[in-house]
Amino acid sequence: MIKFKGVTVVYDKDIIGLDNVSFKIEDGEFVFLVGKTGAGKSSAIKLLTGEIKPTSGEVIVDGIYVNSLKRSKIPYLRRAQGVVFQDFRLLPNKTVYENVAFAMEIIGKKKKEIARKVPKILELVGLADRANNYPNEISGGEQQRVSIARALVNSPSLIIADEPTGNLDVETSTEVMNLFNEINKMGTTIVMVTHSEKIVNDMRKRVIQLENGVIVRDEEEGVYNLGV
Amino acid sequence: MAFKYYLKSAASSFVRNGIMTVASFITVTCCLFLFGVFMLFTINMNSITTQIEEQCELIARIDIEADEQTQQSIYNTILTLDNVTDAHFETKEQAFENFKNELGDDAGALEGLEAENFLRSSVKITLTDIRKTDATIKELEKITGIAEVENHRDIVNKVIGFTSAVKKGSIAAMIVLLMIAVFIIQNTIKLSVFAREKEIHIMKFVGATDHFIRTPFVIEGIMIGLLGFIASFLVIVFGYNSAIGAIADLINLFDFVPLEQCILPLGISMLAFGVFMGALGSAWSIKKHLKV
Repeated sequence: MIKFKGVTVVYDKDIIGLDNVSFKIEDGEFVFLVGKTGAGKSSAIKLLTGEIKPTSGEVIVDGIYVNSLKRSKIPYLRRAQGVVFQDFRLLPNKTVYENVAFAMEIIGKKKKEIARKVPKILELVGLADRANNYPNEISGGEQQRVSIARALVNSPSLIIADEPTGNLDVETSTEVMNLFNEINKMGTTIVMVTHSEKIVNDMRKRVIQLENGVIVRDEEEGVYNLGV
Repeated sequence: MAFKYYLKSAASSFVRNGIMTVASFITVTCCLFLFGVFMLFTINMNSITTQIEEQCELIARIDIEADEQTQQSIYNTILTLDNVTDAHFETKEQAFENFKNELGDDAGALEGLEAENFLRSSVKITLTDIRKTDATIKELEKITGIAEVENHRDIVNKVIGFTSAVKKGSIAAMIVLLMIAVFIIQNTIKLSVFAREKEIHIMKFVGATDHFIRTPFVIEGIMIGLLGFIASFLVIVFGYNSAIGAIADLINLFDFVPLEQCILPLGISMLAFGVFMGALGSAWSIKKHLKV
């Protein structure tokens, strides 16, 4: 479960990221964070990954108080999360298989376990036949699937996706979103930042809308409508 | 598995950085070479100071009127002094003989002077602690029958002063060298960090610890330090004997410390210095990038 309780984030020069924000996300939920640029979506994501700490208020992720989390403990918070970026962030000198395996290697998983799990995850995201290809040999949609596979491979309870379809065409975006939907159905909580009206409106999941660091809308089966 | 990853990762960066790795290696080699030279210089200066101290005796000249019994008593008293390690009595006849021998071919000038020997009997004194020379001279001057005490305190003071200045200079030079080497290594490792910035970022978000991310870079720095150590140490080992041979040809006053005697402390110090430089330079260059 994710809990934001009266969270305020103030950056240098008194720039406000979030202003007294409170919300709760239950395990297994699928939540869209929407809002204009500078609304506070990135601040919310950074709080979840422990990249920043709140200036005031409380952030609790899976029972972990992010406020008082020591720097040395942040990696362990992140091991329970999977992060998917807009620009995929794949390593160009590693194959699809190696990119996914990399996420397991660096947290010290055994070779046997990696060899058992990576093919399964690649199968799940529909890339079993692309395992030996390099990122530049596959399409944008496939690259994002690799990035999702990498986020999934350590069986996180939470997936944070920062505009995962921002670089994809409509058709590919739909495919990727279907994949996220499948993952969510398996019980993984998904928090997704998006600017895609179509995706939000098609999926009809919970929508939290931020504006100038404040929540202006939080609705179940919501739509994109930013009220512009 | 982690260790294998560290080594593989460090080795590939090491190769990928090409020219910068070579530049770092050359700088570290030069720094370590100079470090080794300074160290050998200090070791030899210490040895030379000891040799000078050992050669630097006091000579107590005895009154010309003193009879044999008084001379013996003076000698015995000298031996009881705290700072005296050894004392050697020389009669005026022995002194005359020695003087003749020193003159060699010109000894003829002394012919006929044996009967009216103008030299005094003396006691050559070896001191335990050269720094207490002044106090010992005062004690000697208090003994009845000693006419004068000869010493070479000035020379000793000059040598000690010079050695100490060289030591201080060496330390200052080593600090400067360390800073230069660390700076160069830091910049080389920064290239590795930039080349792997994306990878580091991904690693951070997948939950890699700072230690896990930092270690390959530190290993890369240590590899540069180690290579620099090997090259500079070989140059020193093979060059030392020729160098001291050449110096000995010019000034054959002192014995230099043989390589076998100083190779171990020298090797260990240079190795430690090289590894320290490499590790420190790398750790600094990665520090900023871990704050994600």
